[in-house]
Amino acid sequence: MLQTSNYSLVLSLQFLLLSYDLFVNSFSELLRMAPVIQLVLFIIQDIAILFNIIIIFLMFFNTFVFQAGLVSLLFHKFKGTIILTAVYLALSISLHIWVMNLRWKNSSGFIWTDGLQTLFVFQRLAAVLYFYFYKRTAVRLGDPRFYQDSLWLRKEFMQVRR
Amino acid sequence: MRADSGPPLEEGQAHPPRALPPVPSAIQDDVPLSLPKKKKSRTKSKLATASSEGLAEPVVSKQSESSEPPAAYPKEHPEAPIQRGQKKIRPPPELETSFTEKPSSPSFLRNENGVDVEPPAEGVIPKPRRKAKKTQPAELQYANELGVEDEDIIADEQRILEQHSRFTAPTGISQPVSKVFVEKSRRFHAADRSELIKTTENIDVSMDMKPSWTTQDVALSVNRAFRMIGLFSHGFLAGCAVWNVVVIYVLAGDELSDLSNLLQQYKPLAYPFQSLLYLLLALSTVSAFDRADFAKTSVAIRNFLALEPTALASFLYFAALILSLSQQMTSDRIHLYTPSVNGSLWAAEIEERFLQPWIIVNLVVALLVGLSWLFLSYRPSVDLSEELLFFSGVEENPDKGIQASS
Repeated sequence: MLQTSNYSLVLSLQFLLLSYDLFVNSFSELLRMAPVIQLVLFIIQDIAILFNIIIIFLMFFNTFVFQAGLVSLLFHKFKGTIILTAVYLALSISLHIWVMNLRWKNSSGFIWTDGLQTLFVFQRLAAVLYFYFYKRTAVRLGDPRFYQDSLWLRKEFMQVRR
Repeated sequence: MRADSGPPLEEGQAHPPRALPPVPSAIQDDVPLSLPKKKKSRTKSKLATASSEGLAEPVVSKQSESSEPPAAYPKEHPEAPIQRGQKKIRPPPELETSFTEKPSSPSFLRNENGVDVEPPAEGVIPKPRRKAKKTQPAELQYANELGVEDEDIIADEQRILEQHSRFTAPTGISQPVSKVFVEKSRRFHAADRSELIKTTENIDVSMDMKPSWTTQDVALSVNRAFRMIGLFSHGFLAGCAVWNVVVIYVLAGDELSDLSNLLQQYKPLAYPFQSLLYLLLALSTVSAFDRADFAKTSVAIRNFLALEPTALASFLYFAALILSLSQQMTSDRIHLYTPSVNGSLWAAEIEERFLQPWIIVNLVVALLVGLSWLFLSYRPSVDLSEELLFFSGVEENPDKGIQASS
């Protein structure tokens, strides 16, 4: 069974990483006095996303549903989060590479092209969806039903198998 | 005399296994007990022969002679010959203790073997001891299993008590059959089995009742905290957007005639405001999605079609977000405005071409954000995801989950 203190700790860590992500997404364009600052911010942001993915998977592994072998049920329930997080990580890394590539020589230059603008819009939209789905999943995993055998779980399993 | 008494002893030691194979324990064990009987029968036979010969006196002497061979034995147990007559009924306590104290393993083994075979009448005496010895390992067995029938144990116990009280002092009785020793906090406590079953049931119940602050409560409190942040960001965003539009229109002058003034004045504000707008829009959109339970697409679409305020607000926020993000390039262009150089970024005619859509987009964003705020503040307590996540019944949840995912 999931301990309340452990869950609180994990949840606060997840929210810390999420808020860092949101902060970098919002204010990274302002903090471009030197290209190194943006580079460090971007690297930490990508690592934070990766950490969040690892944490959410560890939380999955900790559930009774997973330990009972019903991986497909978990994937079925949280596939939105899993797919969005992966997409967001890919978009973030590609945008960061592109932006850093253009800004490395002259950090205060005008770099925008239509392609970069499009990628930027998609990355930021994916970020918002990622926040929403990730937060929802993290909060849902606090449900005690995921950590014990129950009638609900058996019904879910039967529904998924159909 | 001794030559006479010698053979019977040897005979008594050699013969019994052959004479009584099925019950070896009763005889072999109790060599001193059986010895006098053998002796007796022998004396009887001798008596018979003597009487048949008509010799009265030798009988006495023979008897005295026959009582001699045990004399080697009575060195340890002098009362044995005296109580010979009573022996069948009751052995002297000293004798019994001497037997029980005997550490010899064969006697113990024989006792174990002798349990199956129903002992003959003379086995009445060793029986209680065997029973007592047998129950001890049995008790261990019972202690291991909680689900043992009570009658067996209690009956046994009573029997042992009876027998011991009848024949010996109840010193070596082990009590515990009806008790079970349970390890609690690294100590063993005695507990009745029936009580133990009750207490374990009670523990299960209390375990269900006990935790006051569960993980679900943590999740719920986090959700509510985020809703508070969302409520704040909705209002703040609406105010910011309206203020931004007002500032832009004031700086642009009548009918957007003074665009260069706008660029000069607004230049340091453009990028910070864009960043703040994204932060607040992201928070507001996530909060609005939470309120409308956007993840359950079927519910969200149904609510949107029914013009549910929360669903409408989340849609408007998302549209505002897209519009606002699309102006990132222009915002950066304004941020890099340098009037003195008037370089490639800002040519003379280019100002209006870039600024007019930017101003309109800002106006639209302000309108959308303001409308969403109105929709959401109309019923600020509505939170569909909270209802569905935390207060939905166990039965209805699966169907909705499948519906949403399919």
